[in-house]
Amino acid sequence: MPETLRHLGRALAFAVEAVWAYKLRSVFVASAIALGIAALTIIVTSVDGAQRRALEIVDTFGPDAVFILGGDIMSRAPGRRTMTLTWDDARAMERSLPGAYLVVPMRARMGLRARSGSRNTDLPALVGSTQGYARAWNWPLSEGRDISEDDVRRGAKVGLIGDSISRELFGDASPLGRVVHVDSLPVRIIGRLSYRGVGGGHGTIDDRMVIPLTTLTQRFNMDRKYFRALRVKFHNPERMAAHVENLRSLLRHRHGLTGDAPDDFTLLTADQILRFIGMLKGSLVAFLGVTATAAMIVGGFVLANLFYISVSERTEEIGLRKALGATSWQITAQFLFEAALLTTAGALAGMALGMGMGQLLSRLGVLEILFSGKVFLLALGSALAIGLLFGLRPARRAALLDPVAALRGEGG
Amino acid sequence: MSAAPLIRLSDVHKRYETAGAPTEVLRGIDLDIAHGDFTALQGPSGSGKSTLLHILGLLDRPTSGRYELDGRDVSTLDDDTLSGLRNRTFGFVFQSFHLIPYVTALENVLLPGLYGPQSRRELTARARDILERVGLADRAQFRPGQLSGGQQQRVALARALLNEPSCIFADEPTGQLDSTTSREIMELLARINAQGTTVVMVTHDPQTAAFASSAIHLLDGRIKGDA
Repeated sequence: MPETLRHLGRALAFAVEAVWAYKLRSVFVASAIALGIAALTIIVTSVDGAQRRALEIVDTFGPDAVFILGGDIMSRAPGRRTMTLTWDDARAMERSLPGAYLVVPMRARMGLRARSGSRNTDLPALVGSTQGYARAWNWPLSEGRDISEDDVRRGAKVGLIGDSISRELFGDASPLGRVVHVDSLPVRIIGRLSYRGVGGGHGTIDDRMVIPLTTLTQRFNMDRKYFRALRVKFHNPERMAAHVENLRSLLRHRHGLTGDAPDDFTLLTADQILRFIGMLKGSLVAFLGVTATAAMIVGGFVLANLFYISVSERTEEIGLRKALGATSWQITAQFLFEAALLTTAGALAGMALGMGMGQLLSRLGVLEILFSGKVFLLALGSALAIGLLFGLRPARRAALLDPVAALRGEGG
Repeated sequence: MSAAPLIRLSDVHKRYETAGAPTEVLRGIDLDIAHGDFTALQGPSGSGKSTLLHILGLLDRPTSGRYELDGRDVSTLDDDTLSGLRNRTFGFVFQSFHLIPYVTALENVLLPGLYGPQSRRELTARARDILERVGLADRAQFRPGQLSGGQQQRVALARALLNEPSCIFADEPTGQLDSTTSREIMELLARINAQGTTVVMVTHDPQTAAFASSAIHLLDGRIKGDA
C-alpha cells in the first residue's frame, strides 16, 4: 500500500522535525539510552574477548595433552603432599601408557633474578624440565635448539630463554651462546622460545627460563626424586577421555591407591580448562548482564518519562494535527518514530562510548575485548525495542487526545 | 449546487458531566448551513457558540441529535473516518493561530495536505500559490515566532485553504489582532467566501460579524432567531 508507506514516511519526517526542534529533550533521552548501550557493548565485546582468549589458551595447552600436577589441587587438605610424582612414574608412562608418546616432567623455582653483564631483571619462573620441553608445549623455538637428553643426564648448565627475558637482557641481539646468571648459577643460552603473549595476569608466560631438571634440583638443592608436574602428549586426541582414564588408573596403581582413596594428583586437560573458563564466562555474563539490563531499563523509564512530559507540552500541537485530519495511527507513528530515532542515536553514541571504554580497559589490561557485527545488531536491536516498548504508551496517549480539549491546552 | 444544505443539524444536544452535575450546553439546535454561506455565530460567553462550532467542524460529537454533511448522516462515523472528513472537507482558523512553532510558514501551510493523499510536490506548489494570495510569498521560510500576529493568522488562513475545503470554521479569528489587522483578515476571509467557500465564524465583535452575510444568535444553548 503505497499510500500507507507515504504516510509512514511523512510521520518519520514529522518525527525528525520534532527531534531536532526539542534538542535538549533529545539529548537527555539519547544519553540515557547511550549509557545502557555502552554497558551492553562492553559486556558483549568482553565476553567475546574472553571466549577468544579461552580458545587461545586451549590452543596453547593443546587438545592432545594432559597436564598432571602432584597433589589434589581441587580439595587440597592441609598437610597433604603435593610432591607425589616421581621419575619412575614418568618412565612407567613412557613405557606402558597406550597412546602416550611424550612425557615431560617439570619443577620450577619462583622469584629469582637473572643477570647478564650489567643488566639484570626479575625472573618470575625458572623451570626445570627435560628434552622435548618445547615440543611438549607446542612452543616453537625462534632460534637455537631444545634441551637434549645429554644435557639432562649431565646436569648441564644450559637453558632456554623466554622472549621477554631475552629482550630485557639482550635487546634485539641474539641471546645464543650468552651466559645468564640466575642468582649465582651461570646458564649458557642454547635456545630462545618464540613470543607467545598469552598466559594473562601479571608476569607473562614469556618471562621464564628453562634448564634441565637435573641442573635445577642439583644447583638449587631441591629434592631429586620428585617433581611438581608432568606433561604427557598423546596420539589420537579424539580418544582423550580413554587416555585420561588409563593414565589415572596407572598412577593410582603405582601410588598404591585402592578403593575410594582420593587421587594424590590432578589431571588437567584442555576440556577441563574450557569448562572452567566457561564457568568464569557465565558469571561475567550474569553480573554484567544484570548491570546492563538495569541500565537499559533505567534508560527506558527516562525515555517514557520525558515522552509523557513532551506529550503534555505538545498537547496543542497534537490537537491541531488531529483537527487537520491526522488519524490516531499517524500520531502514534510520529511519536514512535521520535522514540526510535532517539534510541537509535543513543545506540550509536553508546556503542562509540562502549568501544572507547572497552579499548581503554583493554589497554589497561583489565579486559580482553572483541568487536563484531553481533554487537552492532544487538545494540541497535535492543535500543529500538526499548524505544518502541517505552514509547508506545506516551504515543498512544497522544493519539487518543480529544482535539477540542487539546486545542484549549487541556488534557495534558 | 446540490439541493441538500452543506450541513444540517437536527435537534442537537450537548451535555457535559462536570463534578456530578450535568451541564446542558446545547439544548436542541436545528440549523442549516447552505453552500456559500458566510455565517456568524454570536452570543454571550457560555451561550454554547464555541461548542456548536466544534460540533459543526466535526471536532466534537453531539450527545444526541443528527448531523448531515451534504445529505449524509455522519453522526455514527468513527474518529479516524471523521479525521479524514475534516481533512478533505473543512479548514480551521483559531483565535490563537495554533501554528507549529518549530517549522516554517510553508511547512505549516502544508500540514493538512501531508495528512491527505497528494504528493508533496503538488502540495508545495499549491501552498506557495496560496501564500502569495494571502500576501506572504516572501515569508514562506519564516518561523511563526518571526511573524507578526496578523501574518501568523494569514498563515493559518492559508493552511485552512490548502485542501480546498467546502467550509472554513473560524473561532474568534480576530480575537488577538488590532483593528487594522482584523479588517485585513476579514477582507481576506470575505474574498475567500466570495470565491465559493462556505465560512462559519464565531465572534463577539460586531465589526467582525458585519462581514458575515447572516448571523445566528445563541442564548443558553438555544438559537434565538435566524436572521
